[in-house]
Amino acid sequence: MGRFWAIFFSLAAVVTVGFTAIGAEYWWFPGDGHAHTTLGKKIDDLFYLILIIVAVTYIGTHIVLGYVLWRGAEIRKDEKVWFSHGSHALEVIWTIVPSGILLFIALYQMDVWRNYRVKAYFPKKTAAVAEVTARQFEWRIRYPARGKTLQPRPQPDDIYTVNDIRVPAGQPVSISLRSDDVQHAIFVPELRVKQDAVPGLVIPVWFEVTETGTYDMVCAELCGWGHYKMKARVIATSEEDFEAWKINAAKEQFYDGVPATPDAVAAKADEK
Amino acid sequence: MLRCKMTLPSWSSLLWGACLVVLTVGCSQNPEAQFAWRDTTLDLLPKAREGVQGAIHDAFGTPHDLVAWDKLPVDFGGVQGAVQPAAEGETLSATQFHVKWDGPSAGIGAGSELLWMTGALAKSKHPTAMVVKYDDATKTIELKTKGDAPAAGDRVSVGYGQQLQLGRAVYMKNCNHCHGVAGDGHGPTAQYLNPRPRDYRLGLFKFTSTLSSEKAAREDLERIITNGIPGTYMPSFLLLGNNDGGKEKAAVVEYIRWLAMRGEMEKRLVDELSGDYSQTSLDAEAVKSKKSYEEAKVEYDKARKAGNKEAEKPEPAKSASQLKKTAGEELKKYLDEEFAGTINDTSEFIADAWKRADDPASRIVPTVARVADDAASRERGRLLYMSDKAKCYTCHGAKGRGNGAAIEDFWKKPGSNETYAKRGLHDTWGNPLSPRDLTRGQYRGGRRPIDVFSRVYAGIKGTPMPAFGGTVLKDSDIWDIVNFVMSLPFEESVPSAKPASAPHMAATESVGQ
Repeated sequence: MGRFWAIFFSLAAVVTVGFTAIGAEYWWFPGDGHAHTTLGKKIDDLFYLILIIVAVTYIGTHIVLGYVLWRGAEIRKDEKVWFSHGSHALEVIWTIVPSGILLFIALYQMDVWRNYRVKAYFPKKTAAVAEVTARQFEWRIRYPARGKTLQPRPQPDDIYTVNDIRVPAGQPVSISLRSDDVQHAIFVPELRVKQDAVPGLVIPVWFEVTETGTYDMVCAELCGWGHYKMKARVIATSEEDFEAWKINAAKEQFYDGVPATPDAVAAKADEK
Repeated sequence: MLRCKMTLPSWSSLLWGACLVVLTVGCSQNPEAQFAWRDTTLDLLPKAREGVQGAIHDAFGTPHDLVAWDKLPVDFGGVQGAVQPAAEGETLSATQFHVKWDGPSAGIGAGSELLWMTGALAKSKHPTAMVVKYDDATKTIELKTKGDAPAAGDRVSVGYGQQLQLGRAVYMKNCNHCHGVAGDGHGPTAQYLNPRPRDYRLGLFKFTSTLSSEKAAREDLERIITNGIPGTYMPSFLLLGNNDGGKEKAAVVEYIRWLAMRGEMEKRLVDELSGDYSQTSLDAEAVKSKKSYEEAKVEYDKARKAGNKEAEKPEPAKSASQLKKTAGEELKKYLDEEFAGTINDTSEFIADAWKRADDPASRIVPTVARVADDAASRERGRLLYMSDKAKCYTCHGAKGRGNGAAIEDFWKKPGSNETYAKRGLHDTWGNPLSPRDLTRGQYRGGRRPIDVFSRVYAGIKGTPMPAFGGTVLKDSDIWDIVNFVMSLPFEESVPSAKPASAPHMAATESVGQ
């Protein structure tokens, strides 16, 4: 019977590692499994580092556990048992080694953290593209007019969208995150962007999208009965497409309902 | 000891039983979705109620069994076509035939429902059939049932009602919990919301691009669904049916229009009947009859006392049951003779109104382009805003903060001498309403200049915001007001000495100022 437990616990380790490896083939991170921002790639590196540390510890623990159970099953009745309980040396070892690992992780990740959260360490040329205001249950977005910078207060020529964040790819951009009512959280899994929106605070969030595309965005803070409705999208385009979109959006937003006649179009062309 | 042993199991079994009850609570089936009736419908005399409910049921069905009534201007989906003769030398089985379609036919497939419109099959016992196979390349349909072969030229409709069904699915998933199954604005979450969700049953929508007398166009409903209504709980459904080419949005728009037509039809039919054949009206009549009898009795007694022997004894008051009996007889006559005509007229009236809403002639198109947004225009707008012609300030306040004197008044209920219990403005649905604070820069019906122009031109339907366009104000006057109103949120940030440049110019052209 004793050997059963030794085999059981060793197998448990093999089975979990095996399932994880097989499962990762089919489902790992959302989208194509890779981060689509520069910082996201660093966050992924941290994730994998911790995954390796944990995996080694997990497998090592199970090998030791299996060995101890196996040895224990072999002990004859007249053999004297050795108890490790209260061993000073062992206690010191398994206190210092994990503390060392934790301390290493704590120090090693600081770089990424401060780069993500501390404004002084944001990339130098981060452009504020939009103000994103979360409310029950949607995201309202305000962009400065083309060629202007984002102001803390609304301007007459600002451009508005809802549930639709447009950013240029290939350059660091930031959004000012606010909330109109309760706490929300912006979460764009493929960009590895997640940040609470807190009423009364304007929180800058920066990211640099590496590939153009459309990314799903949701609310990650249970904010009320319509929490699930807060789905939105982030569309990262080239700089030129972003500018072209802005021109178009402004045209639509300042539409005065008078259909353009050929004469009016010609007159406008003459003005230019 | 023995007793203890005997009671213990019974106690524990009770406990187990209680646990079982607690665990299975909520396992019962969900209540079936139903179109709720108006209170006024339920107040009708039983026969009148049955008449209205029957008419609505015939024309619209139930949430589980929709009726697509071709009289209504709703795009129920599906496609129509005519049967084509088989090509020469081609052999088709008895259940196969070719069709020439009027519209796109890609949506047809196994399981689509087919309906014969003309020909012998349309008049047969089974005018419907199920498609088992469809080849869009050769336009060949294969049916499940074997029957008489259709003749060439017979009209056929496939998938009729599909769009309405899709609309129902989308509505039940996204809209139902606020707007309610019948579109009455009484969904389960409605009670937590302020402002209240729209009740479609008056056929009235606030923010439209149509003239003040017209209903909402399809485009208006779709715009609201896509953009939401800032300042209310109506969220944006921008990503609804993402990547389906707008199929789900179009379907839910049709479904909402259909619900609005259903609600308005019910209301109009009830209004026709409730004056004479409702419990409330009969009760009121009984009270009136009793009162007049008592007054006449006093007169009669007085006359008798004075010695007038010829005074006529007043007729005794009619009891509620007597009144009910006479009303019942009249009602029977009405239902037998006139009600079918009323149903027909009402449905035609509603259908026409909704058809007109999508007519380009119903759309507000300013006769002049937006007047340049400069200080002079804003000043003209301000003077109009404060003038006795437009009287904007009475509700929106002298500074546009939505605090005009009108919010302190007790307003009269429309069509009666009664006033509302609360001070301030109310909408047609009876909910308290505050005039918009124009300094907040929040535009419920959209922030495009044309949106604000339409609000002033045609008013906001179902609210005390009146229509100024065409009669009171010229289009250029309205543009001045629009320019003034849209500058209000930025008043402090714009230095008065140096007027800001026109925002639409600044936004559309690269800024080099």
